[in-house]
Amino acid sequence: MSLLNIDNLHASVEGGREILKGISLEVKAGEVHAIMGPNGSGKSTLAGVLAGREGYTVSQGSVTYDGRDLLAMSPEDRARAGIFLAFQYPVEIPGVNNMYFLRMALNALHRARGEPELDAGQFLKTVRAKLKFLEIEDDLLQRAVNVGFSGGEKKRNEIFQMAMLEPRLAILDETDSGLDIDALRLVANGINRLRAPDRAAIMITHYQRLLDYVEPDFVHVLSEGRIVRSGDKSLAAELEKYGYAAFGDAA
Amino acid sequence: MSAIKTEAAPYLDAFRANASEPAWLVDHRRAALTAFGERGFPSRREEAWRFTNLRPLTAHAFAPIPSPSIGEGRNAERQRGISGGGDAGGAITPTRSQPSAARALPHQGGGKLGAEIDLGVPTYRLVFLNGILQSGPTDLPKGAWLASTARTIAERPDLAKQALDPSDLAGGQPFASLNAALFADGFVLALEPGATLDRPVEIIHIAEAVSAASIHSRNAILLSAGAKATVIETYSGKGAYWTNAVTEVAVGAGAALVHIQLQDEDRRAIHLAMARAKLAKGASYRNFGLTLGANLSRRDVQIALGEGASCAVNGAYLLRGEQDTTNAIFIDHAAPGATTRELFKGVLDERAHGAFLGTIAVRQDAQKTDAQQTSRTLLLSDRAAIDTKPELDILADDVKCSHGAAVGDLDKDMLFYLRARGIGADEARRLLIEAFVLDAIETVEDMRIREHLSSRVRRWLGSFETHASRAPQDEGRA
Repeated sequence: MSLLNIDNLHASVEGGREILKGISLEVKAGEVHAIMGPNGSGKSTLAGVLAGREGYTVSQGSVTYDGRDLLAMSPEDRARAGIFLAFQYPVEIPGVNNMYFLRMALNALHRARGEPELDAGQFLKTVRAKLKFLEIEDDLLQRAVNVGFSGGEKKRNEIFQMAMLEPRLAILDETDSGLDIDALRLVANGINRLRAPDRAAIMITHYQRLLDYVEPDFVHVLSEGRIVRSGDKSLAAELEKYGYAAFGDAA
Repeated sequence: MSAIKTEAAPYLDAFRANASEPAWLVDHRRAALTAFGERGFPSRREEAWRFTNLRPLTAHAFAPIPSPSIGEGRNAERQRGISGGGDAGGAITPTRSQPSAARALPHQGGGKLGAEIDLGVPTYRLVFLNGILQSGPTDLPKGAWLASTARTIAERPDLAKQALDPSDLAGGQPFASLNAALFADGFVLALEPGATLDRPVEIIHIAEAVSAASIHSRNAILLSAGAKATVIETYSGKGAYWTNAVTEVAVGAGAALVHIQLQDEDRRAIHLAMARAKLAKGASYRNFGLTLGANLSRRDVQIALGEGASCAVNGAYLLRGEQDTTNAIFIDHAAPGATTRELFKGVLDERAHGAFLGTIAVRQDAQKTDAQQTSRTLLLSDRAAIDTKPELDILADDVKCSHGAAVGDLDKDMLFYLRARGIGADEARRLLIEAFVLDAIETVEDMRIREHLSSRVRRWLGSFETHASRAPQDEGRA
């Protein structure tokens, strides 16, 4: 059964031009999909529409998540239903402690599922376990959310949040962009460790390089708001060789 | 007296010289009253009052409580009560001139007065009801004087005189002049050279009034060279009263004063508070004001800096309904090498209005002045408004002065980020508002006081409805 079903999705920037021009995509539990495309092809718009970011108008089509009409849900309800967007540009929030924020988020998810909230001690235990699981440092946790973090630290923080919140569907929006090779490995390692039969991920990326570390089940090429090719991981290699231009012409 | 302003008349009529008071005080009161009578209330045509709408104050005559004309016998009783420290019941016996206020006294026979709003940690605590001392500390360390102004007048006139200021008689600050004429009580804290208080001084003002009544309290904080103290004043109450408080501050060479003003008055009340501080060489004065209450409020802080002195005047205000507040900060860099830091954070919802007037005057010989002023405001509604008027008046040439002001709504990207992690819209807005005022509150170094102020902010946020959750018909609610 499909976890996410995007059917003929058309979306535009509010009051502006159409960016997504009929996207259809099915994602099943356990699958990792890569969506690749050049700048301006609509990658981030797709991520924004799926996560519920303001400023987009859907004019046609539907998105069904776990049998529900995703587009009718608020961003927080989507998150509580298990959708996680790893931001391309994680937002700095001065004055909000990272740990406090994470506990608030985790407990919001627990409440939504009717599970008991974690107290400070239980939360700390979970944090320690996840740090160990991802083999990462705890140096970011006592700081304000993303404030003064380097690009790599911000992405690492996103992956850590993902590990804490255990989403059913992770949407990674250019999580690899701007990372040096060490940071890329760390992030890829996080994604790989979170792969599970009951979870799915959509990796949105410009470059094929992330796919050297995280092996996708499917690769889709996005061009001018449409998926113009779909295939297995070999498609990524083809892209690398011939460039996006070849696929754009095919559209 | 010639040319008495009509709106001043009820206050002039309320004045009665008290024969039991020393002549220097009676003379000062009379002269201050004359100054007020000739000056009248400030008008919005005056630059310093342009953004403060005084209509709630001018619409009624606020009879002073307790009346300064309580009579010799009662006055004597009052002073005895206060010097007794613990029990001052005689001080609040009703008189004919203030029947309604006296009728409204709520705490007789009840629990400990002020217990709901105090810091909850050991302090040297003075509790005032309608401007009159109810209880005070009995265990002061050596070198410290902390008592009601009334008692200080009787026992330490040398200190009490410092609670008065020549500017009371000049008419430039009419509410301070009126305060000088009508004040019934207040507190005086004086520390001898090098004296340090091991606990904060906590001043709790509780007002209870069923009709328009005014409470004028006169205070002084006098630190001799090298002394150190922390003073937190909390104002709260019930009713449509007017608090008019004046605090004279003198910080001696190398002395350090932390002065916190927490204003959480009744939403129908008017609150005007003036702090006038003089800093000697190398002195430090850190003032913080949290404004949550009152219908109309204004906080004036005026500081004259000595050589190498440093001051910080910070504040946060969170208002809704039709609440209106003004922070008017005047810093006089009269000597070289002094430092000023100002940080104000305002949160205005519904139809609330705020004003920030920040004047920094740097005199010709005040070289190496270092002054920074920042005012930032969140407007949570289209009908909330802020007026900001920074004014740097610099006559010296070797100075570092900056000011910045910003006004905005909550950051949409931050809100989305929080919501995308499952945090509900209302909770996300509360979190961001608390974070917004946090850096102002963090200027308060004492952790317990900071936590106390934060908890008051959270309480305000707890009764906060965001626009998303607010039904349209609720808009008219005050």
